[in-house]
Amino acid sequence: MPMNDRPKDGMPSGALPMLILRVLQSGSLHGYAIGQRIHVLSSEVLAVEEGLLYPTLQKMLLKGWVTAEWGISETNRKVRFYRLTPQGRAHLKAEISGFDRVTQAIQNILRTA
Amino acid sequence: MSELLRRILYLMNRRRLDAELENDIEFHREMAARAGRSNFGNILRIREQAQEAWGWTWLDRLGQDLRYGVRILARSPGFTLMAVLILAIGIGVNVSAFSLFDMVALKPLPVRDPDQLLRLERRSPQDYTSEMPYPSLIFYRDHAKSLSAVIGVLGVPPMQINDDVQPASASFVTPNYFTELGTRAAYGRLMDAGRDKDASAVPIVVLSYGMWQRRFNADPSIVGQIVHVNKKPATVAGILPREFASLGGQGPDMWLPIAQQPNFIAGSHVLTDASASSVRMWGRLAPGMTAKMAESELLSLTNELRRHHPKDIWDREYIQSSPGGHLQVMQPEMYRIAAMVAVLTLLILAVACANLGALMLVRAVTREHEIGIRIAIGANRGRIFRQLCTESLLVAMLGAVAGLALGYVVVRIALRALDAPRWLTATPDWRVLLFTVGMSGMAAIFFGLAPALQIARQKQRKTIARQVLVAAQIAASCVLLIVAGLLVRATQHALYTDPGFGYEQLLSIDAGLGRHGYPPAAAKEYLAQMQSRLLSVPGVESVALMKLPPLGHTVSNMDTEVNGRQVEIYPNWIKPGFFKTMRIPLMMGRSFYANEKKAVIVSESLARKEWPGQNPLGQQYANGDEKQTVVGVAGNARVNAISDDDAVELYWPAQDEDMPDMVVMARTAGAPESLPPIAKTISESLDPKLFPEIRQMKMLYHDNVLGVERIAMVVSMIGMVAILMAGVGIVGLVAFTVSQRTKEIAIRIALGAKRAEVLVAVLRQFVWPIALGLVVGTGFAAAASKLLRKALFGVSNLDPAGYAGAIGVLLAIVVISALLPARRALRLDLAKTLHYE
Repeated sequence: MPMNDRPKDGMPSGALPMLILRVLQSGSLHGYAIGQRIHVLSSEVLAVEEGLLYPTLQKMLLKGWVTAEWGISETNRKVRFYRLTPQGRAHLKAEISGFDRVTQAIQNILRTA
Repeated sequence: MSELLRRILYLMNRRRLDAELENDIEFHREMAARAGRSNFGNILRIREQAQEAWGWTWLDRLGQDLRYGVRILARSPGFTLMAVLILAIGIGVNVSAFSLFDMVALKPLPVRDPDQLLRLERRSPQDYTSEMPYPSLIFYRDHAKSLSAVIGVLGVPPMQINDDVQPASASFVTPNYFTELGTRAAYGRLMDAGRDKDASAVPIVVLSYGMWQRRFNADPSIVGQIVHVNKKPATVAGILPREFASLGGQGPDMWLPIAQQPNFIAGSHVLTDASASSVRMWGRLAPGMTAKMAESELLSLTNELRRHHPKDIWDREYIQSSPGGHLQVMQPEMYRIAAMVAVLTLLILAVACANLGALMLVRAVTREHEIGIRIAIGANRGRIFRQLCTESLLVAMLGAVAGLALGYVVVRIALRALDAPRWLTATPDWRVLLFTVGMSGMAAIFFGLAPALQIARQKQRKTIARQVLVAAQIAASCVLLIVAGLLVRATQHALYTDPGFGYEQLLSIDAGLGRHGYPPAAAKEYLAQMQSRLLSVPGVESVALMKLPPLGHTVSNMDTEVNGRQVEIYPNWIKPGFFKTMRIPLMMGRSFYANEKKAVIVSESLARKEWPGQNPLGQQYANGDEKQTVVGVAGNARVNAISDDDAVELYWPAQDEDMPDMVVMARTAGAPESLPPIAKTISESLDPKLFPEIRQMKMLYHDNVLGVERIAMVVSMIGMVAILMAGVGIVGLVAFTVSQRTKEIAIRIALGAKRAEVLVAVLRQFVWPIALGLVVGTGFAAAASKLLRKALFGVSNLDPAGYAGAIGVLLAIVVISALLPARRALRLDLAKTLHYE
């Protein structure tokens, strides 16, 4: 019985992996911090549901875009930190340029039509 | 590292990774709680969703389905046992048949590099012989670069050891035989290409393990001693191992170097005669060579050989190669028989599957409640379907294991009964295992898919699927039964039909004059002496000469077209006195005169085919360019074609040049058992170098019939199994149909319907499937019997009794199995039934 765990607020589908890759670019983070960072950086527009975050992270691990390693959280607890791999970096670049092209195209239409 | 590899790693480290994931999410929940959020979702759910990303959910579901399936099957042991039993028979029969085929045609011989071995035979568009002249073999051996070795085997009639009465089988082989196969002696040594290649070498003999055990009491000190083979001394060089694997499945008692052959068979020219095809040839491919390359090289060598011996090489002759590293070199005809057996065994599996499918449908009704609940609490049809398929697979797996066991037992019995080579074991090899897996998978699809589909769609009460199953079942049983019936009739035919000649008190005495290099005149003299001496023995009624004795080692036939129809003519060369000795009646005309030429005697059926409605006497028979006059018509006698009812015979007067090949036939007034030692003594006094092969026709005939009887017995057993299964299936179906309609029946009877009418109403739905099944089955059986006819004798295309009998039996079983459960319904306790619910 699959339930729909779509984020409430305007998370474009397929954008989450790209956002995760982007926030990991500046250093490794644990799952909670990834969600928080996206939330804060989007000026609290985008909320990342746990039900979407963890499956997405697992998929990215399988794809080899990120790796996980043990670390200690700010609350002094053992937790896994996710880190970008060279492969993930390359993928992020490709994603961003693709996304730019598409948003550019959409904006063009919105402006001129 | 690829994604797939990572996925597999995830599967293997599942427990650890799951714990790590759980920790991640737990931490997340803690942090969220700190931040004042309390609406955190279900942790387990999030974990499951995350795990789905690993892509192993199907495996979990399969595990669940399997566990559930096991529980379901364990809960109804009666059904499970029945299903596994039915399937075990269906799969077991196929596994047994395939195992035997595997042994004969697929399993490589346990010899050195069996895949490099080639069987090499002479062929041309018109002609074929499995043997070739020894000088040709030497020519190929010396010139073929694509072959690293050439092996030759010369089969000879049984030879006498010391003063034994019972002769022993023997083969003369090229001395590289055992070294090429990589055989090691159990005791002593085997042949040596260096020491044993010349006629002048010390004569040796290699004994088979069985011979050593039987004749020499397994005494190892026999090695190095001298035995007498055909009265000639030979040193026992060594003993072959028990598990020895020979080429072409031949297992003679003694093996001798081929160069020694003239020493043992006095006067033989086999090794120098370029026109007598007598040696079977095998080759070993040189490294890097293929069979195709060898064939094309041998073709050019054959053409070169033709320049040396223009007479002895056929037009457009070539050497055909076939894989030689198996027990049997398969000829196209054998594949045809194998295919026929395969069809029959597959039919049994089809009956089993149809049966099981019906059983599954019946069970589905009893499981309606359970499946209804599962759908009600949210299982989708796909999941139910998958669950049912998993159950079918489970049943198929159990059936496969049981079938494999059954096949093992059957093969063990067969190996023992057939006196198979020792290296063969009944233990299934990977080919048999793969076949079993494939078969059971296929069976699962057949018996499981359609019912599962119907059940998942909750249509299990629909009758159409059941009707189709019944039709299929009846059709398949019908084919099996008719074929079994035909075979039984064929056996009866073989047992109780006169072969057309009196075989009871008949003896053949083959001195093998040609093999001993007798020229025609000397042969004629020897045969005349032999005949007159035999006639003077009290109890001998008559003697005669013929070239191809019944049940002999050689058969010759001509495929000719007579008046637009293909006729197989079996010719023979005879001397006057033949018909009297053989007890073949002369219907018209006369027998040959002494020294008659350009004359021919035909059998009754040949006369009818060749000159329908005319008097055959005096007609001209065209044999090549020669015109021959028909002087007599003989009764039909299947002298050389016991296996072919359509065979027709033709007799030519034997000429002087045929004498070295003639065989003496003797008829005794009483029991023929006392004659062989007398004939032996006569031969010894005529020429001590000869060791004639004396055979009693009665024994040969019975051996032959025994073989057919065995085949017919196996097939009838298979037919019985099929019919039993069909019966069980129909009983189940009718019982189920009746139980489904108990209330309706009770109401009808209560309202005054006649019981017979009710019965008809209930059973009507099975009428057309049964009729359809019978029609389709009979059609298939007719096609199958056409094929059978080629392989076995006495099977006639349209044997009305065979067909009627089989259909009658089948119908009777159908009716009984339908009436038995239906009758129960008619004795219903009406009040009780109507009160129920």
